[in-house]
Amino acid sequence: MTASSTSLRRTDDHWVGGFTAMACPCEVLVDDCTEAEAAAIVQLASQEAWRVERKFSRYRHDSVVHEINASDGRGIDVDEETARLLDFGAQLTRASEGAFDLTSGVLRKAWTFDGGNAVPAPETVTALLAHVGWHRVRWERPRLTLEPGMQIDFGGIGKEYAVDRALQLVAQSHPGVGVVVNFGGDLAIGGHRRADRAWRVGIESASAAGRAARTVALDAGALATSGDSRRFVVKDGTRYSHILDARTGWPVKDAPRSVTVHAGTCTEAGTWSTLASLKGAQARQLLEGSGKTFWLQ
Amino acid sequence: MKKLIPVSALLLLMGGCAHLGVEPWQRDVLARPDMALDANPLDAAIDDHIYFSKEASSGGRGFGGGGCGCN
Amino acid sequence: MNGKDLASLLATATCALLGTSSPARAEGEKPWSLDTALLLYKESDSRVQDVSAAIGATRRFADDRVLGLNLTADTLTGASPSGAIALDRPQTFTSPSGKATYTTVGGRIPLDDTFKDTRFAGSASWTQPMGRLYTVSGGLSASYEYDYRHFGANASLSRDFDRRNRTVSLSAAWSKDDIDPVGGPPLPLSQMLDVGATGNKAGSKSKDVLDAVLSVAQVVGHDTVVRFNYAYSRSSGYLNDPYKILSVVDPVTGDTSTRTPAATGGPDGVYVFESRPDSRTKQSFYGEVKHDFDGRVLTASYRYMSDDWGIGSHTVDARFRWPLGGGYVEPHARWYTQTAADFYRVSLVRGQALPQYASADFRLGEFDAVTLGLKYGHPLASGNEWSVRLEGYQQTGSVPSGQLIGNQARRDVTPDLTAVFLQFGYRFGL
Repeated sequence: MTASSTSLRRTDDHWVGGFTAMACPCEVLVDDCTEAEAAAIVQLASQEAWRVERKFSRYRHDSVVHEINASDGRGIDVDEETARLLDFGAQLTRASEGAFDLTSGVLRKAWTFDGGNAVPAPETVTALLAHVGWHRVRWERPRLTLEPGMQIDFGGIGKEYAVDRALQLVAQSHPGVGVVVNFGGDLAIGGHRRADRAWRVGIESASAAGRAARTVALDAGALATSGDSRRFVVKDGTRYSHILDARTGWPVKDAPRSVTVHAGTCTEAGTWSTLASLKGAQARQLLEGSGKTFWLQ
Repeated sequence: MKKLIPVSALLLLMGGCAHLGVEPWQRDVLARPDMALDANPLDAAIDDHIYFSKEASSGGRGFGGGGCGCN
Repeated sequence: MNGKDLASLLATATCALLGTSSPARAEGEKPWSLDTALLLYKESDSRVQDVSAAIGATRRFADDRVLGLNLTADTLTGASPSGAIALDRPQTFTSPSGKATYTTVGGRIPLDDTFKDTRFAGSASWTQPMGRLYTVSGGLSASYEYDYRHFGANASLSRDFDRRNRTVSLSAAWSKDDIDPVGGPPLPLSQMLDVGATGNKAGSKSKDVLDAVLSVAQVVGHDTVVRFNYAYSRSSGYLNDPYKILSVVDPVTGDTSTRTPAATGGPDGVYVFESRPDSRTKQSFYGEVKHDFDGRVLTASYRYMSDDWGIGSHTVDARFRWPLGGGYVEPHARWYTQTAADFYRVSLVRGQALPQYASADFRLGEFDAVTLGLKYGHPLASGNEWSVRLEGYQQTGSVPSGQLIGNQARRDVTPDLTAVFLQFGYRFGL
């Protein structure tokens, strides 16, 4: 399977389309229908995933993000979709009291979370913090002006957004068909399954060799997961998760290993799982107050 | 009593298996309840109890039989 | 910002981003999961019959903590081969209570006095994660029947490796059982006495068992999982079956030596109570594989057991589940074979010195057994499932002809067993 091709296979009662996008394995499950219809749905979802990836990728020279990050203090006029994402990021910054920030990407230069023990010197982090902070950004729709040295990164919300967008497109052109769009564990369900069956979804935390994964029967809604899995640094016995607090430039203390939240859309589920991770030891409290179903480890 | 495969062999078996296994997102089949190793604990307990009371062996999967006057 | 304000802020923000926000509830899990079964078991030739009911309950808490509870009740009736050999004539024995006698027909392997026994057993366990990769669990178990009481405790530690593709666990269980047979446990190798004579009966006995299991489960590909277990078990204390006997036979005819019973009643032959060592060490190696063939699941396993009583056994078990209609069918086949214990005897010979240990219990003899069964299960839309299972078991014993004396060669000496059982099951959530 190459980077821009899709696969399609059939299990006993549904189709599974697969492809790679946003650096993770993506799947689209389609409830029983013709092969042609399933293939069309998978095509739609994969095209949308690649579109979002190309448009908001840090690495591509033709992406909006690259244009913004190379602006060097000049204002850039952005399109409607980018404007909505920026508004959304601003709301998240407000909701997290600054811990989440679309401009925190530059901190990547100090931290490589590869399981090793490279912890940056405090001076390095402080220096980078001078280029972090939504309060330093001039956002007057549609004009975005960053200070020189600042960067925008949609990595924290891009995948969940792509899931919801892909699902919307599929729902518009194939209304009612039972579908699950799953981009590397962040997923959303659309349509209805035949025969009243629900989709069985596994929660990673309990999934181990030979043990039935903690499965949930879902017939609607979405799941998003925030977790450290293998992205962390261990130094002097302390484990630093990869989730950085944009106010300090350091990893959140006592971030939960894994948080999965169920909500109406993947984006909303993602906001809760991200906020919970940023709350560290108070994650559970936050989630209990949300009224959402969650799984915390 | 004959000696069985020593425990060390079992540990070797463990060590050589790093290339097996799947990523967490590849568990769709393994996550099905019928693929769990202990998918039907009540059936297994009933079978184990019947065989424990009629044969000289017990257990294997976990703790065998016991707790009854039937053997 | 309080919870409600936050929820409202995020919902609005999402709505603005996507242009839509649909409410949904995770149907999620019901915290309680209950598994119930009703078993009807029957052996041919008026031997044992059993009706039993079992219920297993699992309660899941947040963070993968689990409480497990189990309750079983069974009522056994019927009779089992006592260990005495068949003769052409009827035989009379003193019953275990020592207060009466029972007579068996000629030409058939004698079954012991018909009994009725109700047993209750329960267990509870608690499992919880310890850190990210470890799981620890502990439990208690107990059972009660009129002549046997069991109490046990167990603990287990497991750890996941390699993206949770491998789980290694170590478990240990300890149990203390108290045995209080009707009439009292007879002194090993003492003779069966007349009615009212209790000189050869002792006080209640006990047995300790220690079990340890090392288990490795490994994911092998996206559709296969395997497991290997090594188990060690050591029992010590009273390991005899207090109701089992051996016939003492004439060295030429092979028929049971006769004796004159007392006026109050008693055995009309010479019978001796069995004697087993007071310790037993077992080791077993078990391997299992589960493979998915596109929705159909094959489970196959092999177990080898060996102990210091000279018994070695092999068990091969396979079941294949495949979807059918709205449910599934699962045929099952099992083959089992064991060698006899060193001290297994068909009978003892009059005039010869008594061995230290001897038992004619068919369960310690050499035999092959085959099980064939079929299960049908039907999941319901609510996630509940009912099932029915029918299995047949046939055990065929063999004795090396060199062990048979005189007339024994022309009679059945091994009480072959044929049994059928039917099980109804229902699994639901609460």
